[in-house]
Amino acid sequence: MNLLEIKDCTMRFGGLTCVDKLNAFVGENELVGMIGPNGAGKTTVFNIITGVYNPTEGDVSFIGTSVIPFKPYQVAALGISRTFQNIRLFSGMSVRDNIRVSFVKNLRTGYFKSILQFNSYISEEKEIDKRTDELLEIFGLLDAGEEFARSLPYGEQRKVEIVRALATSPKLLLLDEPAAGMNPTEKVELMNLIKMVKDKFNISILLIEHDMKVVMGVCERILVLDYGKKIAEGKPEEIKNDPKVIEAYLGETH
Amino acid sequence: MKNKILFISSLVLIFVINIFTNSLDPYFYTILIYIGINIILASSLNLINGYTGQFSLGHAGFMAIGGYLSIAVTTYFAPFFINTFGTGVFGESVSFVIVLLLGGIAAAIAGIIVGVPSLRLKGDYLAITTLGFAEIIRVIIQSLEVIGASQGFRGAYIFENGVKAAQIPADLSNVPFIFYSVPKYTNFFWTFTFVAVIIYFISNLMSSTYGRGFLAVKDDEVAAESMGVNTTKFKVIAFVSGAFFAGIAGALYGHFNLYLNPEDFNFLKSVEIVVMVILGGMGSMIGVIIAAILLTILPEFLRGVSEYRMIIYALLLIIMMLLRPQGLFGIKLKPRKQT
Ligand SMILES: Nc1ncnc2c1ncn2[C@@H]1O[C@H](COP(=O)(O)OP(=O)(O)O)[C@@H](O)[C@H]1O
Ligand SMILES: [Mg+2]
Repeated sequence: MNLLEIKDCTMRFGGLTCVDKLNAFVGENELVGMIGPNGAGKTTVFNIITGVYNPTEGDVSFIGTSVIPFKPYQVAALGISRTFQNIRLFSGMSVRDNIRVSFVKNLRTGYFKSILQFNSYISEEKEIDKRTDELLEIFGLLDAGEEFARSLPYGEQRKVEIVRALATSPKLLLLDEPAAGMNPTEKVELMNLIKMVKDKFNISILLIEHDMKVVMGVCERILVLDYGKKIAEGKPEEIKNDPKVIEAYLGETH
Repeated sequence: MKNKILFISSLVLIFVINIFTNSLDPYFYTILIYIGINIILASSLNLINGYTGQFSLGHAGFMAIGGYLSIAVTTYFAPFFINTFGTGVFGESVSFVIVLLLGGIAAAIAGIIVGVPSLRLKGDYLAITTLGFAEIIRVIIQSLEVIGASQGFRGAYIFENGVKAAQIPADLSNVPFIFYSVPKYTNFFWTFTFVAVIIYFISNLMSSTYGRGFLAVKDDEVAAESMGVNTTKFKVIAFVSGAFFAGIAGALYGHFNLYLNPEDFNFLKSVEIVVMVILGGMGSMIGVIIAAILLTILPEFLRGVSEYRMIIYALLLIIMMLLRPQGLFGIKLKPRKQT
């Protein structure tokens, strides 16, 4: 069984069809790229998967369970986490506190034990601290832990978002243009980091990228969206030479 | 651990200071108690409006519920409390803690009833519903004869034939009765013990990982939900916790004033608490405490112009928004120098 299964999904806003009868899947421990011109509907697909939008038609299931009836926080509890194209870090909090938010959903010590500072609370906080350190270290952010998240350079903010999403212990990670705003070398570094994270935590990743070249090297499979429709799907080398894909990208106005 | 030691030693300190407060000038003593009660009110509203970013405008309503319920129980059930716990310092303390908690719980239940439906809706419905709620509570009290209606409530008449009432009914004017007035249970010790409790409560909650849930709701609800935070649940918890402490504050107030009037809990009182929170800097504990102290003392200097209190508060808020939008003591986000 596939981890994520999108079946005949359509999303309309008024008269505008943003996602059109989309069929797609993500398998276990797979790194899948989703590319397409601006406005193709990529972010909308993420919003459907995470329960922000209910699709007009069709179904999305995760490990055999339909996510449609669930609210976003319940989808997160199932094991899907995400980052945002227009960074949404908690601006009033430090980097560490941003990441601590992700541990809230799995806390064993709740309201009363936290207030009365039970021993179980203290040991759990230590555990969370350690996990936070580990994750920050992987992304080279250990020194930035106490900074306000929003005061970091753009590229580092994107990394904090990835760390925050990983801290929820997801089975599927959705990354929305994680390399946006980075220079070409940084982009390549980040993609390699993402691939490493996928293997280290044994998770699946669905990654949106606007720029086709960036994902070619790391993704095992690529979906191409244009005007809400899937126009191609396959291995990077197949996609690269697909005339429909070339046309979609050529037709794009910059 | 550090907080626990601080908390326990502050209780000891409060206990010791309490011994000396007997010799204090009654006027200053009264102000001191009001400061304590206002710190509890402002800090509890800070939990809702400051840390969790919701906008409640009806804190006086919860205070009224806690206040009226607790003094009604103390007086109507006075024979029960006296028979069960006696009239010694210990017995009275037990009775008082019971009615304080009852006041808090009643306010918390009201918090659930008001909070759950309005906090589930997206958008700023809370300000309107809480404002309406506080006004409804006031109107209900105004028409409830058992707690003195618009005359206010001083205590309970318990007649020999078993009838209980807040005033002497005309047809019972010949029946013997005992009048149980509200006992003056509230003192420096109890008031500041609850100040210490709420400070301990909030500082522990807000330094915990659990507490990040509230801050995340305030900062960005969409992101919080995506990270698995049940935002509605956190809003309700903050709201109900705040209501609980407002109920306690009301009970302390009732057992100090020994008389409650529905007008004590009008819209102006709710606004006053909101101003303390905004002035102190939403979500800054120290700031809100200092603002509560300042706004308790300030009106004492403005006795002659007390009709203009609303205008002064409004001006204060406008000046504040222009000069220090983060509040007197709130932290302003400083961008890091980029290298
Ligand atoms: N909530 C919404 N209401 C109306 N239109 C929307 C909404 N969300 C997205 N869209 C539209 O859907 C289309 C696809 O947007 P999006 O998914 O953000 O594209 P992409 O991420 O591929 O650049 C755009 O035309 C956008 O304007
Ligand atoms: Mg997008």
